[in-house]
Amino acid sequence: MTRTLRESGILWARQMKKLVRIPLLLFFALAQPLIFLLLFSQVFTNLDRLPGFEYDSYLQFLVPSIVALTALNSAFQSGIGMVTDIESGMLDKFLIAPIRRSSVLLGKVFADATRSAAQATVIVLVSLLMGARFATGIPGVAAMTVLAALFGIAWAGLSNIIALRTRNGELTMIVGILITFPVLFLSTAFMPSILLPEWLDTVAKFNPITYIVEALRALVNTGWDWTAIAQALGVTGGLAVVTFAGATRAFRKAIE
Amino acid sequence: MALIQVDELVKVYPGGVRAVDDISFVVEEGEIFGFLGPNGAGKTTTIRVIVTLLKPTSGRVAVDGIDVVADPEPVRRRIGYAAQFIGVDDDLTAMENLVMQGRLHGLEPREAQRRSHELLEVLQLVEVAGRRAGTFSGGMRRRLDLGQALVHGPRVLFLDEPTTGLDPQTRRALWEYLRELNSRGVTIFLTTQYLEEADALATRLAIIDQGVIAIEGTPAALKRGLGGDAITVTLPDDAGPDATEQAARVLERFSDTGEAARFDRSARVFTAEAASRLAEVVRALDGASVKVARLEVSEPTLDDVFLRHTGSRMRVEESKPPSRLRMFGRGR
Repeated sequence: MTRTLRESGILWARQMKKLVRIPLLLFFALAQPLIFLLLFSQVFTNLDRLPGFEYDSYLQFLVPSIVALTALNSAFQSGIGMVTDIESGMLDKFLIAPIRRSSVLLGKVFADATRSAAQATVIVLVSLLMGARFATGIPGVAAMTVLAALFGIAWAGLSNIIALRTRNGELTMIVGILITFPVLFLSTAFMPSILLPEWLDTVAKFNPITYIVEALRALVNTGWDWTAIAQALGVTGGLAVVTFAGATRAFRKAIE
Repeated sequence: MALIQVDELVKVYPGGVRAVDDISFVVEEGEIFGFLGPNGAGKTTTIRVIVTLLKPTSGRVAVDGIDVVADPEPVRRRIGYAAQFIGVDDDLTAMENLVMQGRLHGLEPREAQRRSHELLEVLQLVEVAGRRAGTFSGGMRRRLDLGQALVHGPRVLFLDEPTTGLDPQTRRALWEYLRELNSRGVTIFLTTQYLEEADALATRLAIIDQGVIAIEGTPAALKRGLGGDAITVTLPDDAGPDATEQAARVLERFSDTGEAARFDRSARVFTAEAASRLAEVVRALDGASVKVARLEVSEPTLDDVFLRHTGSRMRVEESKPPSRLRMFGRGR
């Protein structure tokens, strides 16, 4: 256990160094969600007049969705890094070292989680400046970053599966972009459940995004809704287990 | 006990390509063992099996007595490997790349720092230690990659085409460094497609072609095995294949080792005391009315050895090797 932690820690540190070394990449990864935060909160601002919309403002409603969008964006970049490592020979370097195979993937997962958490914090800070209020205060924001990190891991696993199966960075990126918006719009991310058409509301109930967004939304708007948090942890954690198992399988197959 | 032992190694890729077809050899501690062959001969496949990156189809490979398939981890601790495709992280500095490799090989942070600094000095990268590897020239990247393979102080160093793409001066400097490493006790296994490199560096070498080892021995012994110096007759530009054949027949009378090698408008045999028999050769060629453009006596080269044992000349291709994506981790 300590050995795995030590090994994946070294690889985590590498990812962190790479991340801060190209600040432009971080900036642009955040730029799109921030633009959405600004635009959506303006365009849809009058939604709060609709009967059934029970939040103080659309901004209050939107912040968790943007946190989820940001995490999705960076999660779908995870696989691209995997392809780059294969192409550049870095993966060979890791495989030739006397470390556990699982440490390679774990280091990446930890890095993805850290990145999602950091980006969630930035989104929260910007929305604070825009006038959003957090019902659960600083502990709530901390809980949000943890949930965002778990959410990031879950979807980064999927990105790595695609990357390891196709070994094509562009394809991995395109599939990621293609998935992002449908999964967000087929959830309660942009419209409360009660205002969704019936079929979509049904679809949203089977969409893991709905659960994370609802838990985050409670933290922002109403308080510690333990049922929502437990559901989010269960669904997102379950998804993370599934995608990580899939990524591990794809990884083992790729390096065999 | 041999440091590297390869027994009846076979590697067949999915799709049926037999990249390595039943080869066996040993490398003793302290050797610089050269694996000489053209592109596609099976050199990289063999090296990737030994360094635990590729599973063999059949056969047994052991490093320091440890089976590379059954027990790869202790093998990894004993070896360093610099691939044909350089694997450095462009976003990290030279120092960070080295330290990371050292840490992955189990060095404590301070020890990894110390070793990395030492290597940067030896490899003359100390001035650019803090620069991102992405800004480095080909030669600098090659040196950094070599440093990565050495940072944990391996007993045996595997180098796959270490000087491909380097200018002659850098190449010679690298040879010098490898000799020095070897004199300090590091066993070196290198593949190369350069005859000159095998000749200059290897204390012993195996010639591999189309997945099979054609012959192995020290460069000197291999050349001696040809039976003497080379006599080469070159015909004028207008000479046809018949004239070449005739010249070859004449030369064969002087050969100690049978058939003459036939090339485009030239032929070559190997014979003891070639120089003293030159007059006879001239007379014989004259007697057969063979028009000669040039006649020379030379020491045999590894190219001659290669030709004798594979039936073709060594083809050196500077073309780009296949994409890493296709090379990487092909299955069992």
